[in-house]
Amino acid sequence: MADWVDSLESELVRLGLQPGRARHLADETEQQAAESDSPPGEVFGPAVLYARHLVAALRVSSAPARLHAGPVMLSLAGVSKRYRRQTVLADVNLTVRGGEVAAVVGANGCGKSTLLRICAGLTRPSGGSVRRTRRVGFVPQDGGTVGGLTAEEHFTLFGAAAGMVPGRARSTGVHLASRLAWRPGARQRAQQMSGGTRQKLNLVLGELHAPDLLLLDEPYQGFDQGTYVDFWQQVFAWRDAGRAVVVVTHLLHDLQNVDHVLDLGASA
Amino acid sequence: MTALVVANLSAREVSRRRAALLLVVSLPFWFYLARRDLSGQSTRALTLGIGWAVSTLTLFVVNASRGVDPRLRLTGASVLGIIGGRLLAMTGIGVLLALGYWGLVAVDQDLFHLWAAGPMMLITALVAAPLGSLIGAILPRELDGALALLCISSVQMLADPAGLLAKVMPFWSAREVGNYVVDGGSIDFVWRGLAHGGVTWLICVAGTLAIFHWRLRLVRYPEPELP
Amino acid sequence: MTPRPWLHGFLDLCLLAMLRERPDYGYGLSQRLAAAGVADIPGGTLYPALLRLEEQGLAIPDWQPSESGPRRKYYAITPAGLDVLAGQAADWQRFRDGVDALLTGVHHG
Repeated sequence: MADWVDSLESELVRLGLQPGRARHLADETEQQAAESDSPPGEVFGPAVLYARHLVAALRVSSAPARLHAGPVMLSLAGVSKRYRRQTVLADVNLTVRGGEVAAVVGANGCGKSTLLRICAGLTRPSGGSVRRTRRVGFVPQDGGTVGGLTAEEHFTLFGAAAGMVPGRARSTGVHLASRLAWRPGARQRAQQMSGGTRQKLNLVLGELHAPDLLLLDEPYQGFDQGTYVDFWQQVFAWRDAGRAVVVVTHLLHDLQNVDHVLDLGASA
Repeated sequence: MTALVVANLSAREVSRRRAALLLVVSLPFWFYLARRDLSGQSTRALTLGIGWAVSTLTLFVVNASRGVDPRLRLTGASVLGIIGGRLLAMTGIGVLLALGYWGLVAVDQDLFHLWAAGPMMLITALVAAPLGSLIGAILPRELDGALALLCISSVQMLADPAGLLAKVMPFWSAREVGNYVVDGGSIDFVWRGLAHGGVTWLICVAGTLAIFHWRLRLVRYPEPELP
Repeated sequence: MTPRPWLHGFLDLCLLAMLRERPDYGYGLSQRLAAAGVADIPGGTLYPALLRLEEQGLAIPDWQPSESGPRRKYYAITPAGLDVLAGQAADWQRFRDGVDALLTGVHHG
């Protein structure tokens, strides 16, 4: 029982609560468990998970009122893509402003990833017009890292690409990682990371250069439940900071809080 | 700046591929050991081995970076920074390998012009890096590329030196300089070899940059209009 | 019992409604929810919801001793909570009427 309460408290601190506040909440939780005369693990579930529920409850009120949508960061008008005779995308329209989240949904093979690559500028659309802000961060579904390099080396590499000096790139990367509740190991290489950790690295690399528009292709593969919650909180934090976010997803329960949903429908 | 960071990190990455590195570094040595009793043949085989080793290693590095390169471009890196940096690293590794094996023949063989074995191996290593990169750019799959490099090296070894085929192969320069090193021919062989190596280097570098310029091109979109 | 996902949107509403009747503590509220046949709600969902109401200023906590065992955290609804309750109750009415209309003619069991 004391173990459970202790791990709740330390998890709350790890998630960014003031130690005093964490102590207080942990005490309260212990007393609330006593109400029903059961061990806290039975009433509240695993401490690590419960800590996140509590933090989420606290954030509801502390989140500032939603800002007005900012300038347009991305606009697609009548965008289409054909490969030879096969039409992958037809007449796609989407406008995303700063401070907005757009979700791109649809069956596997309906062109979600192609659309995201078009937004990034990695694939040329066959028709239609695209307007986009210059600073863009792109997080692919997989790949996008170098197996033999550590997280910090990745920060240096991507920082150099963006014109940052190595020291600043590393400290920025470590800071961004901490917001995903991740502390990169000094020796662990990308190929030794779990799928979820590698995706965190991918996310950090996508926002290292402080882009105005983030393009994310199902970036939570391999995340456990807690990390998944962290991920969406991060998405909404970006939004509240005035950035535009486009997320490709096939999980429909993600959609309750986004501003736009673009449904590409069944597979082409 | 980007090129130097890419070079540094590519070199680090290669140094961590222990098994591949060991195989590739030791391969020229086995070529050499096979006919160690014949100075000429062993030195020529050793040099070609260096060419194969460095080009294959470069191929692996180029292929391993396929996923990360477009992201580096999006983050702001230039094609020259990415590809140039990687070539710089692989060239550096090739130069170290060549110098090491130059040391080996210096103590183990009795050659007509030992000094020229240095340029012979160095020009091979210099050509090998962009060659491996070019093959990697053309053939996206690792196995295809490795087989192509194996083909190039064996054709170079087997082709009749008097014929045209041997002369248009990328490692012909080593053969030319070798005439001076092991057979005691005219110094002209060295100049001709270096010239061939220089031209090959230019072709491979230009080719690799051109292909990556095309493959890593970004669509330029206009910025959204202000309201 | 109500399927869990249904309750998700209406838990706050149910809690506010029960607190309007009388101040109560977590375990008591969960008993009342179960007794009303609404849901058997796990503590891992209930207590964060109460914390959320507290943080939003819709309910106000008060520690009170209990006859048996440790003190309990009783929640009372605030005027702001009453406002939200009134608004949400109207929403719920509309929603329920709509669903009822759709379900007309569907027989139970």
